[in-house]
Amino acid sequence: MKKKTHLGAWLKPGISVLIPLLIAFMPAEWLHIPGITPVEQRVLALFVLAALFWILEPIPIFATSVLIIVLELILISNAGLQPMRQDATGAALPNLIDYREIMGTFASPVILLFLGGFFLAMSAVKFRLDQSLAAVLLRPFGQKPKRLLLGIMAITAVFSMFMSNTATTAMMLAVLAPVLPLFEPGDRGRVAFVLGVPFAANIGGIGTPIGTPPNAIALKYLTGENTIGFGQWMSFGVPLVLVLLLGIWLLLTTLYPARTPALELKFKTRFLRTPKAYIVYATFVVTVLLWLTDFWHGMNSYVVSMIPVAVFLSFGIIGKEDLKNISWDVLWLVAGGIALGLALEKSGLATRLVTLIPFSGLSAMTVLAVAALVGLVMANFMSNTGTANLLLPIVAALGTSGLALESTGGIAGIILGVTLSISLGMSLPISTPPNALAHAGGDIQTSDMARAGVIIGLAGLGIVFALIMILSGTGFFN
Amino acid sequence: MEKTYIICVEDQREVLNTVLKDLEIFEGPFFLEGCESADEAEELLDELDAQGDYVGLMVCDHVMPGKSGVQLLIDVNKDGRFRHTKKLLLTGLATHQDTIEAINQAAIDRYIEKPWNVEILQKQARILLTRFLFDQGLNYEPFLPVLDKETVLERLRRMG
Repeated sequence: MKKKTHLGAWLKPGISVLIPLLIAFMPAEWLHIPGITPVEQRVLALFVLAALFWILEPIPIFATSVLIIVLELILISNAGLQPMRQDATGAALPNLIDYREIMGTFASPVILLFLGGFFLAMSAVKFRLDQSLAAVLLRPFGQKPKRLLLGIMAITAVFSMFMSNTATTAMMLAVLAPVLPLFEPGDRGRVAFVLGVPFAANIGGIGTPIGTPPNAIALKYLTGENTIGFGQWMSFGVPLVLVLLLGIWLLLTTLYPARTPALELKFKTRFLRTPKAYIVYATFVVTVLLWLTDFWHGMNSYVVSMIPVAVFLSFGIIGKEDLKNISWDVLWLVAGGIALGLALEKSGLATRLVTLIPFSGLSAMTVLAVAALVGLVMANFMSNTGTANLLLPIVAALGTSGLALESTGGIAGIILGVTLSISLGMSLPISTPPNALAHAGGDIQTSDMARAGVIIGLAGLGIVFALIMILSGTGFFN
Repeated sequence: MEKTYIICVEDQREVLNTVLKDLEIFEGPFFLEGCESADEAEELLDELDAQGDYVGLMVCDHVMPGKSGVQLLIDVNKDGRFRHTKKLLLTGLATHQDTIEAINQAAIDRYIEKPWNVEILQKQARILLTRFLFDQGLNYEPFLPVLDKETVLERLRRMG
């Protein structure tokens, strides 16, 4: 028995390292990819390494991201290891990537957009804005379980548009904890409440560009004429969240109806009225307004996101100790994904791989359907950000494949559709950290989560397709 | 992979066994070790530190032959290697003076009187171990089933 676990411990890292090594060192013709260059072969090995590491997780997923960046610097950058920069004859290899560009992924605009979001969320939590606001917003929903659940889910979704899905879930589950024992024994309504919070948090992330990391990765590929602003994202994101949220609420109240007549949530907090608290409230409001009015003042969402950083640091609202608590792991996880995408694009491998797929006779909607389904399935079993990191660079390259993309409104429609589908993966406790938290409470079974989660995933895919059709039909992508 | 230990120090064999049995629920994600004296505990601390493992929680009796429990915890408190280690004093025989020392110099996190209530001991250990993981910056996820849910939620909320 002991020996077996020992073998198992080496299996994951073994596979994750050996297969990429094999790809890196095998003769290029064995790969059956016509015209593949040495640099592309290395990028292919890196991509496979990233995929295996993010799926099997022999090391933490953010460590994989940093590993990718460092391997890129050594193996395919113009400041890498000398023998890696020349071919067998000693001539310099083409398509090496500027090392500054690879390192720059750590401070890429979308990373800083997220940093701004983290500052807003951290200061809101520090000054208990989250709890005070939740208390006020929940009041109109009353005490009837069905309506109260809608209120809890709506507030969770709204908060998770600006806070991390995990922190939002943690806060709302903590609010919920004292009322769960009030359910009569055997009342399945408890399941609806415990599932409603993580589901709403997962869905709420769709609402804004800073709602969840996959959105940031999508923004990275939506450039040039496909650029989508903060307000533009919210113009379809928020309605989509609303539709999904109502659907999930109906589903949960049907599957797990509550028999308990009334529930009362108690909040201890009141709005803080200190000068610093007012600065936090004002900065929050001003930042969101600036994000929504980029067309008027000209500052894009990336530039705006730096304003709360400067304000909070200047006024001592975020101090030295708080800085350490920033989720650098999330930022670096995204940076690694961007670096991987950069390598795939700049080496030319993404385009080459895409030409291998026989697209003739396929419609763009079919491609979107397949890619979105793959994204949904992957996201159920691994990190959503990891899924986006792997899938979106390949999807983005489809734009160069010669596939007729009118029906999805160009490549932007496919990128968005896949990104949104990734956030629908929530059928297992391992699917997302919010799911894991809800499951850990012990009030629900995995089967409860799976039943509702699978329905949400599949129905959600349909709704996302409809959205992309509507957007492309109304000329949103033009 | 580094392990996180719970160390129980108690000179009476039967009592030690009871404490270990009460804390068995943590075994799996955490590792449980018993010591019959402060000296033995110090040896174990050195050994675990040398292996790179963590000590998440010490559950300590006070009156023991040789070094007392409070003195052991004072020494642990001064030791930078165990900065985040949580300290629980489990005793029925500490004097007023001992208790003052335990709070002021050992900075104990919990004081539980003998005979103890199993549920209270488990609940407090749960809270302390959860705090240790977050203070030490370890990944809480593998430990989630045995952690204090309220503490986990509060710590995660704070991250924004």
